[in-house]
Amino acid sequence: MKPLLGTLYLLGMLVPRGLGYDRSLAQHRNQVVDKTGSLWKNLETYSYNKYHPMEEIYLWMSQISEKHAEVVTQHLLGMTFEKRPMYYLKISQPSDNPKKIIWMDCGIHAREWIAPAFCQWFVKDILQNYKDNPRINKFLRNLDFYVLPVLNIDGYIYSWTTDRLWRKSRSSHNNGTCFGSDLNRNFNVSWCSIGASKNCQDLTFCGTEPVSEPETKAVSGFVESKKQDILCFLTIHSYGQLILTPYGYTKNKPSNHEELIQVGQKAANALKAKHGTNYRVGSSADILYPTSGSSRDWARDIGIPFSYTFELRDDGTEGFLLHETQIQPTCEEAMEAVLSILDDVYAKYWLSNTATKVTSTTVLLNLLWLFTSLL
Amino acid sequence: MQPRGQPPSAPRPGPARPYAPPWALLLLLLTLRGAAVPLQDPAVPLQGPRGTDVPAPPSWAMLQQAARVALHFFNFHSGSPSELRVLANVQTGGWQVDPRRGYHINLVFSTESYHLQDGKPRLGKCFARVFFQNQKPRPAITMTCTGLSEKNRTLQEDHLLYEQLKQMKDALTVSSIPDDYGNIDPSMRPIWDLAVLGSSYVMWERTTQFSYYYPLQLSRVKQWKTSDHAIDFDYTVLLHEFPTQEIVPCHIHLIWYPGKPLKVKYWCEEMQTPVEASSGTEEGSAVALTEFSNF
Repeated sequence: MKPLLGTLYLLGMLVPRGLGYDRSLAQHRNQVVDKTGSLWKNLETYSYNKYHPMEEIYLWMSQISEKHAEVVTQHLLGMTFEKRPMYYLKISQPSDNPKKIIWMDCGIHAREWIAPAFCQWFVKDILQNYKDNPRINKFLRNLDFYVLPVLNIDGYIYSWTTDRLWRKSRSSHNNGTCFGSDLNRNFNVSWCSIGASKNCQDLTFCGTEPVSEPETKAVSGFVESKKQDILCFLTIHSYGQLILTPYGYTKNKPSNHEELIQVGQKAANALKAKHGTNYRVGSSADILYPTSGSSRDWARDIGIPFSYTFELRDDGTEGFLLHETQIQPTCEEAMEAVLSILDDVYAKYWLSNTATKVTSTTVLLNLLWLFTSLL
Repeated sequence: MQPRGQPPSAPRPGPARPYAPPWALLLLLLTLRGAAVPLQDPAVPLQGPRGTDVPAPPSWAMLQQAARVALHFFNFHSGSPSELRVLANVQTGGWQVDPRRGYHINLVFSTESYHLQDGKPRLGKCFARVFFQNQKPRPAITMTCTGLSEKNRTLQEDHLLYEQLKQMKDALTVSSIPDDYGNIDPSMRPIWDLAVLGSSYVMWERTTQFSYYYPLQLSRVKQWKTSDHAIDFDYTVLLHEFPTQEIVPCHIHLIWYPGKPLKVKYWCEEMQTPVEASSGTEEGSAVALTEFSNF
């Protein structure tokens, strides 16, 4: 009851304010925190090593964007089926130069609790380190991070209140006798052709048509509008310990398949260096199973070059019911993987001048060596 | 990784424990030499028998499935909650296909003990031949594994576990293990281990070249009887089914005594396929199947 009340309270407070597409909540944050103080203490005591129900995540978003107002703003993406607001956080260092975008979403499947935990961890890590860590500082010079901590909010709440193993959204079908679409089968890419079901009762139900679900509409509408600037689309799931590249709907490979695998493998190596965990890298159709209508495939096909699905810990021992003591190591190692991908993306788009210098130097050194060896 | 449970003592490495007669083992090893390739990259195609016109080789995913189901088979046949093993890595895989009948997959894979010793799993290796008969479940398996605990040691640990289980009076009040946050009360862990052991039989019987399973949660204990001769355990386990993503509740009745073959009876709830409205209960509509059993 309490989570529902909390949600309704927040909803009651925020929706009537007529939030537009791009308006931040700056002026309303103080009121939200004060009036709902009884639900929360403060950001200093927020534990990133625990799973949080949705009303706590809503509050966290609001507090984080207040505390780090110089770089973080909270934005409304759209509304869920049950009319809850979908918020994303934009992390952006003010500057004159135009930025490219890194998109990350978590929790498209309700029961995969480690995923929203990772999105929160990611935000926390970036904000803790962007001033002092040269690597992250460098990213923020040219990149903006758009993070959607929970995509399937209705489903996530349902997994807390009613059914821990719920996967889909909570849209109503067949006169209220059947609930939920698999949001990761609902995107407009080879929709419902393979690895998805037209039967509403199935857990891979693809929806009534492509992008039938409000959550899918919200994400695809926004990402489509920004696609010229989005370099990297990361969608976070569990479990399986995999870094998946396109496609799931076909065994054919995208034009940059080799590069995606190389970058992915480097990320998996960086991940393994942290705690020894093995993540496999490959296309979804090759190493997992065929699927259609996934967000990752759709993102690649609208032209976003680096598109990955992460399946976080574990390998099946605990599955979705990943113990809270695993949150920290899972997030730490996944962080290394994401940063590695960002290194490669950054190098590709902003270090081409340096690359030329390195090549020239290498040629010179080789000539010098050749000369001296001939003496 | 989270401790998966501490056994009473650290077992010593022991001799290989075959599950097939020695001549079959020799045949298996010879076959492996002929048809196996080291697997470094799922994109690298596997070698099939030369000069034959064969359909697409099994995918990397299918090799993983073969290894997993081989371990379900192993775990069930070992009848030991202390010696449960999980898949570490598939090392080499070969295959032969009979277009009319199915896939023969030869595998070498590394394993880890489900229980940790001194904070680390014990490593092992298995050589297995798995025959998936044209999309039918219950693949035929021959295998041998190394790196296992010495037999007497395992029996000793099983007996200790048995004594712990006999002490459990409140098993019937159990509602979920683990809980929604992944917690297992240490005092309840022996029940979970026994439940996983029973689930191994079910998962072996249900696995095909396309579908595989993981046990997620013990959701209910219906019956719990202990005596000097056996643990009689009737429970519901939620299996996570790939690739459908469904949660399949299976009702399992097992009888266990250390050192004796495990006896299992079960039936699983299946989702109905027609779109007609059902009562839409959380578990889906229950269709009682013929009881499967090795009693």
